[in-house]
Amino acid sequence: MPGKSFFIDTSLCTACKGCQVACKQWHDLPAEKTVNRGTYQNPADLSFVTYKLVRFNETVVDGKLKWLFFPDQCRHCLEPPCEMTAEDPGAIFRDPATGAVLFTAYSKDIDTQEVIEACPYNIPRTARDGTLAKCDMCNDRVRNGLLPACVKTCPTGAMNFGDRDEILVMAKNRLATVKKTCPKAKLLDPDDVRVIYLVTEDPMLYHSFAVASNSAFDISRKVALNKLLRPLTRLTAGL
Amino acid sequence: MHMKVTRRKFIQISGAAAAGLAATGLGFDLSPVRAHAQMLKTKYAKETTTICPYCAVGCGAIVHTSKKGDGRVINIEGDPDHVINRGSLCSKGAGLSGLIENENRLLEPMYRAPYANEWKQVSWGWALTEIAKRVKATRDASFERKNAKAQVVNRTTAIASVGSSAMDNEECWTYQALMRALGLVYVEHQARI
Amino acid sequence: MTNHWIDIRNSDCILIMGSNAAENHPISFKYVTEAQRNGAKVINVDPRFTRTSSKADFYTSLRSGTDIAFLGGMIKYILDNKLYNKEYVANYTNAGFIVGENFKFKDGLFSGYDAKNRKYDKSKWAFDMDANGVPKMDISLKNSRCVFQLLENHFSRYNTKLVSSITGTPEADLLEVYKTYAATGATGKAGTIMYAMGWTQHTVGVQNIRTMAMIQLLLGNMGVAGGGVNALRGESNVQGSTDHCLLWHIWPGYLKTPRASNVSLAAYNKKWTPKSNDPLSANWWQNYPKYSVSLLKSFFGEKATKANDFGYDWLPKVDDGEVYSWLDLFDEMYRGTINGFFAWGQNPACSGANSNKTRKAMAKLDWMVNVNLFDNETGSFWKGPGMNPSTIKTEVFMLPACVSVEKEGSITNSGRWMQWRYQGPKPLGNCLSDGNIIMELGNKIKEVYKKGGVFPEPILNLKWDYISDGLYDPHKVAKEINGYFLKDVTVKDKSFKKGTLVPSFAYLQADGSTSSANWLYCNSYTEKGNMAARRSKKDAPNNIGLYPEFAWCWPVNRRIIYNRASVDPKGQPWDKKDWVIRFAGDVKDGKYVSKKWIGDVPDGGWYPLENPDGTKRKDAKHPFIMRKHGHGQIFGPGRADGPFPEHYEPLESPLGNNLMSKQRMNPAGPVYTTDADSVASNSPEFPIVGTTYRVSEHWQSGLMTRPQPWLLELQPQVFVEMSEELAKEKGIKNGERVKVASARGSLECTAIVTKRFKPFKIAGKIVHEVGIPWHFGWRWPESGAEESANLLTPSTGDANTRIPESKAFMVNVKGGALNAW
Repeated sequence: MPGKSFFIDTSLCTACKGCQVACKQWHDLPAEKTVNRGTYQNPADLSFVTYKLVRFNETVVDGKLKWLFFPDQCRHCLEPPCEMTAEDPGAIFRDPATGAVLFTAYSKDIDTQEVIEACPYNIPRTARDGTLAKCDMCNDRVRNGLLPACVKTCPTGAMNFGDRDEILVMAKNRLATVKKTCPKAKLLDPDDVRVIYLVTEDPMLYHSFAVASNSAFDISRKVALNKLLRPLTRLTAGL
Repeated sequence: MHMKVTRRKFIQISGAAAAGLAATGLGFDLSPVRAHAQMLKTKYAKETTTICPYCAVGCGAIVHTSKKGDGRVINIEGDPDHVINRGSLCSKGAGLSGLIENENRLLEPMYRAPYANEWKQVSWGWALTEIAKRVKATRDASFERKNAKAQVVNRTTAIASVGSSAMDNEECWTYQALMRALGLVYVEHQARI
Repeated sequence: MTNHWIDIRNSDCILIMGSNAAENHPISFKYVTEAQRNGAKVINVDPRFTRTSSKADFYTSLRSGTDIAFLGGMIKYILDNKLYNKEYVANYTNAGFIVGENFKFKDGLFSGYDAKNRKYDKSKWAFDMDANGVPKMDISLKNSRCVFQLLENHFSRYNTKLVSSITGTPEADLLEVYKTYAATGATGKAGTIMYAMGWTQHTVGVQNIRTMAMIQLLLGNMGVAGGGVNALRGESNVQGSTDHCLLWHIWPGYLKTPRASNVSLAAYNKKWTPKSNDPLSANWWQNYPKYSVSLLKSFFGEKATKANDFGYDWLPKVDDGEVYSWLDLFDEMYRGTINGFFAWGQNPACSGANSNKTRKAMAKLDWMVNVNLFDNETGSFWKGPGMNPSTIKTEVFMLPACVSVEKEGSITNSGRWMQWRYQGPKPLGNCLSDGNIIMELGNKIKEVYKKGGVFPEPILNLKWDYISDGLYDPHKVAKEINGYFLKDVTVKDKSFKKGTLVPSFAYLQADGSTSSANWLYCNSYTEKGNMAARRSKKDAPNNIGLYPEFAWCWPVNRRIIYNRASVDPKGQPWDKKDWVIRFAGDVKDGKYVSKKWIGDVPDGGWYPLENPDGTKRKDAKHPFIMRKHGHGQIFGPGRADGPFPEHYEPLESPLGNNLMSKQRMNPAGPVYTTDADSVASNSPEFPIVGTTYRVSEHWQSGLMTRPQPWLLELQPQVFVEMSEELAKEKGIKNGERVKVASARGSLECTAIVTKRFKPFKIAGKIVHEVGIPWHFGWRWPESGAEESANLLTPSTGDANTRIPESKAFMVNVKGGALNAW
């Protein structure tokens, strides 16, 4: 599979939130007004102006305290349900060079609720005017030979980015190493997404949307039909 | 809310269907979007290197300053050629542009008169002249040529100064030289606390 | 740091204690992670489980203020199990020195204690000298009065059971840490310590660090790659500002501030220039007069002449035995003896201990000048909580400084690297650089004194020509800091022209023929150019990440100090793989016949102590060249509170007595007595240990992060972290606003109820601890509801440095109706 991919090794993440701020900085996104809710995780969730969020969870595993960090972002699915649901490349499309799944300003003209519901990782968010937003893989940077802002800023090597084949090798090698000390370590949905996480504990302990439930059979009739008969109407209308 | 796709179930699509989709094309042209994606906001900016002003790791960063208009900072990111941080920055460093281009910054000298309830904007010339007068008045009134044991001390203990690890080395040196020339002994800063 | 950031990657065991590197020095974790991936063990000891703990191979907790007990147990473990590096200890440390009969230790007190003045007579701790005035030594370490034997005796009391009951650390955890860390005593292995204010902000701060330094000496970890004692300094230029000595007790380059009894330059130089009679001791400070005279030449230029003692009398003197530190400064201000005040790039209303005292003290000033990037709690103190502006006479001038990116100059990082930075945009609005403000203010003051005034000489004679095209010129100052030849001279067979830059401090002179505003930085800006601006990514031949041509580091670009202890007495590295320096001189008949070191800049280029055939050389020097006797100090007779560390309880403690001795708190720790200095130790009113710390998302008093929306978004409110057990006891829910109070003040915080704090079992009873970040203050965020944790902390401090005890004090916490308490 060509294009680009991320490898996010949560075992190396120190939750410095450099990625979270670098994302806002590059994209000129405003800060949200937040409150402390009894956690270091802030903002509380992704939003139209927060594409990247480090999620914090404290848990005890086998009598040992773990503080688990999960730098959450769009997975840039190989076959993105959002794109498929939108049925409108003017609103949601993939950059063939990188595989980045991109939302445009025209996303406000599609059924955004449907798109949001379709995402197995609970990523897209809407603005007041209905426009959808999420991580864009820093496609402008990547197309110019730069790393995505979040990857570049990461101090420890938790965030990695590159050609998909190389990233897959990196992820598998790292998994083999980590497994020696953390037998529960695994990669999350590596064959389906371009943002591959390595976790050392049950993924549900990090975030309830850390993995997608794998259900190729649970597709609505409409989407199944759409796969075969792509309607032309909104595709052209969107432009 | 009508749900056409069962909530957050991952859709696996056969390779054949995907290929068919991609092949349709239908004359749809992504080029405007692509052109936009290829335009970096930093393309025509001036590049300078800096060192992060927060902790003492001393990370390098690249500052992109607009060559047009108001000449302000449009981006700051880690310097990949800096041997310590190799391009990485934490949340504070990654947000450095937000410290500079910040609407909360103090931009004018201000003065608060005795018993006043508010600040008054003043000029640099007035502020520095008035400060110099205060320094002289306090220093001259309190200056000790000799201490209780009649040893030469040439100092004032009525003026104190604290700061600053936020200044550059060269500023630190000139600052302490001025304070010591005035006879201050209460010269302290962040390293003490 | 004796070593530097990149060098952390060379370590075999990294102890992170008294710091929270992952959160407060996030990029250091690039190298912690790299070491760990190469097999190093990372140990973290902290009262609470942090983001650092989450990445450690082993984490355990201790009660704040008990680090000496914890580390003292490690010294005992190392000695009991003979895990020290015998050859290193015997040759390079003062373990073999014989201590005089006057030295004694009993019931927590060293000999020479003066209870009335809370001071020791340090002469009681002197070494025995031989007829030549060289310390008597027994390098077999068997003499009962040698340092090694006294050390063993001193720490024999620090058994794990007693230590555990003081620290609250389980005994098994203590042993795990001791065993893992002590393994670095093996030749070729290196252990490092990453510490910060978690160790300094105590009444026993210096001794916390000394205990670790002693461990590093015992294990042979000083001077080696991946070793050293590494203070993770907190501000971008706190290393540089300390080197330039913005501190009452020192002059640029760590020279002493003259005492009133130093009645002339000669008397001053005589007093502070150490003398060693050991021909093998380099005693580097014997060069003191060269540095002091060169400094005076920088202060006063041509006005400083031999005839006027180079202007020595023009500079202020402090009274002998008096202390003018931060705590004393604000104590005096509170008492009303200080009338004028500059707060320059600093926010004391939030950053110093006992903020209520500090803020009230400011109301007694006639005038204040506050220079900063943002309006802050200091400049606006007169309208802060509890203040009535109509009763406060203080005039305040608030001057807008520009951000670092808007000016040019250098800063020095924690690894002593001086790095140049350039101007990006111009200063915003009407901001000026600190440099321009200082120059302009100096000019204005000079102007008013030209018309007369009290003792105007130092002001009028101050060299003040650091201006080009009407603006402050950092290059001119940087060159002055390096120093110039002031006449044509020949030094060490080399001729130099008047007006050229001095190549290194080895060429500075005591006769007024050179200037150098800071001898430590001599070599930083030479005829070869601005060394701090260098950018080469080429490593040194040892390939250990020294990058000798990237930026510049003091002293003389030496990246790892005390590096002559990284080699054996024959000059060959203990660690063959990650070596720092090695002697590569020619050998003839088993003897070295030419001098050549490779690798890092050696700590002095003398021959090694021994020839390859094992014969001793007379032209060699001991490795610890900055120490009078050339040895690492396991016995430290210069400290105010004893030559060995000893556990004492903090000023405020949950215990009524010290389990180690009859001395409850540090006998030499300062005590302040104004009505703002309430203390509540072992009190039912304040039964919970409190501590303060920082988080990744903010910085220091928060002034450069709280008004920054992206960072405020990440951590919007001050919080108090507490265990689930304490929250249950107090009926507090996660996320609710609670009140935290000490004997001195209180503030409202959001409760973070967490598994990351656990109650301690101390002396058989349950002791809770809570922690609060000190980044907040009422001015930002604009809600005005977030306050400084320093409202809680006490005005007391370390016996040597007087750094405030902000890390261990007593509090109480209440939820529910906040106003009822």
